[in-house]
Amino acid sequence: MTRADWMVIVLALILLPVVYVYNWRPEARATLARITDAEHHVRTIRLDHDQVIHVHGKLGDSVLQVHNGMIRFIQSPCTTKFCIHSGWLKFDGDVMACLPNGVYVEVSGGKRKYDSINF
Amino acid sequence: MRLSYKHVLVGLLVLTITACHSHSKVAETKDTILAFGTLVEVTLLDVPKQDSQAILKRINDEITYMHYAFHAWKPGPIGRTNQLLAAAGEFTANPSVVPLLIKAQRLARESHDLFNPAIGKLITLWGFHDDFPPEGPPPDDAAIQALVKQHPSMSDLTIKGIRISNTNPAVKLDLGAIAKGYAVDFVIDTLKAEGIKNALINAGGDLKVLGQHGDRPWHIGIRDPRGDGVIASTDVQDGEAMFTSGDYENYYEYKGKRYHQIIDPRTGYPADKTRSITVIARDGALADAAATALFVAGPSQWLAIAKSMGIDQAMLIDAHGVIYMTPQMHKRIKLEKPVKDVRVVDLP
Repeated sequence: MTRADWMVIVLALILLPVVYVYNWRPEARATLARITDAEHHVRTIRLDHDQVIHVHGKLGDSVLQVHNGMIRFIQSPCTTKFCIHSGWLKFDGDVMACLPNGVYVEVSGGKRKYDSINF
Repeated sequence: MRLSYKHVLVGLLVLTITACHSHSKVAETKDTILAFGTLVEVTLLDVPKQDSQAILKRINDEITYMHYAFHAWKPGPIGRTNQLLAAAGEFTANPSVVPLLIKAQRLARESHDLFNPAIGKLITLWGFHDDFPPEGPPPDDAAIQALVKQHPSMSDLTIKGIRISNTNPAVKLDLGAIAKGYAVDFVIDTLKAEGIKNALINAGGDLKVLGQHGDRPWHIGIRDPRGDGVIASTDVQDGEAMFTSGDYENYYEYKGKRYHQIIDPRTGYPADKTRSITVIARDGALADAAATALFVAGPSQWLAIAKSMGIDQAMLIDAHGVIYMTPQMHKRIKLEKPVKDVRVVDLP
């Protein structure tokens, strides 16, 4: 065993826990939201900055709230308000659309637990 | 045994492999389309960008056409078919809808008409043939019973080639409970023919997969019909479709009562014994139609209908939150939340 061998072992022992934590940690929150308006214009925003966003749709403006790393619809000109009732999007791959208004949001980043959601 | 540095190195190697195992990175390309009254998302894995753009464009065009062709209340091939069904006599149907009608007719028969695409007039009466869900009180009971008594059924149609005749003027087609399944089958077949090995199409929560996600199967969560998040999960294998019908998807409330779009053809009212049903099958159209039929059948009859339709993997959550699973479904489902009452029930 040379000194270099020992250095490799020590380095590996230090790095291994980091790799474990990174790869096996539970589902982590999304970091980005991709917002598409009724004319298919896409805008990507970060979720680490609380804000309120107005998105132009077919019926009027959908209003989105970003808070604490999550995003949701808080106002919509549609009659059903399904988009508002659906609540927060927070995990990678979560998608929500206001179909009547032609506005949809998908969040990404972080580590997802599922490849897709069945409902 | 004395521990040498070689043992230590081998141990580290094993630890490194397990540490990295869960994190195989694959490049995803996605396209999202507004169709079938929902969001359709197509995901391709490890396809070069220039190839994926052309393929996704083609898929987008196909889905957009199917949305137009199968639409229940807007002008198009099914809209025209409905106009001709209302008149007496035989007519020539648009060839693009005939294969779907033939399949729907067979599945309706196998479901004992609990999947019944011929009850379009009832769906219209309930107000669900509109871009906006209905408001106010439910329809008049006499009007509902008048339609139910006419027993519109797919067996009223005779389909010979592209010629169709109808013996029951109460028939009006609404293929909403099979169109998405038919579409996801078509998309997966098209992707396969294009040489794509790994892909997923999710049409408003109903999905079918090709291949797998990197070095593991596609891992899918099933939404909790009454709470936030996911109630269960499973790995979905190459070529499998997974469809869920729930009372939370398209509904309205009047005086505190929920009225959803899954109408029981026997009563004319929304089926109220089930919260959600999840079906896994290799045929997307079958999974789609079976999800509706088993939802309508409810906890007392769903196993008999599943058997009749050739379904052996299904999970039903009843109106009280009790979860029923077939043995084959139970083998693969992982519950993600504590559930008080889970029952594994054999097919008859």
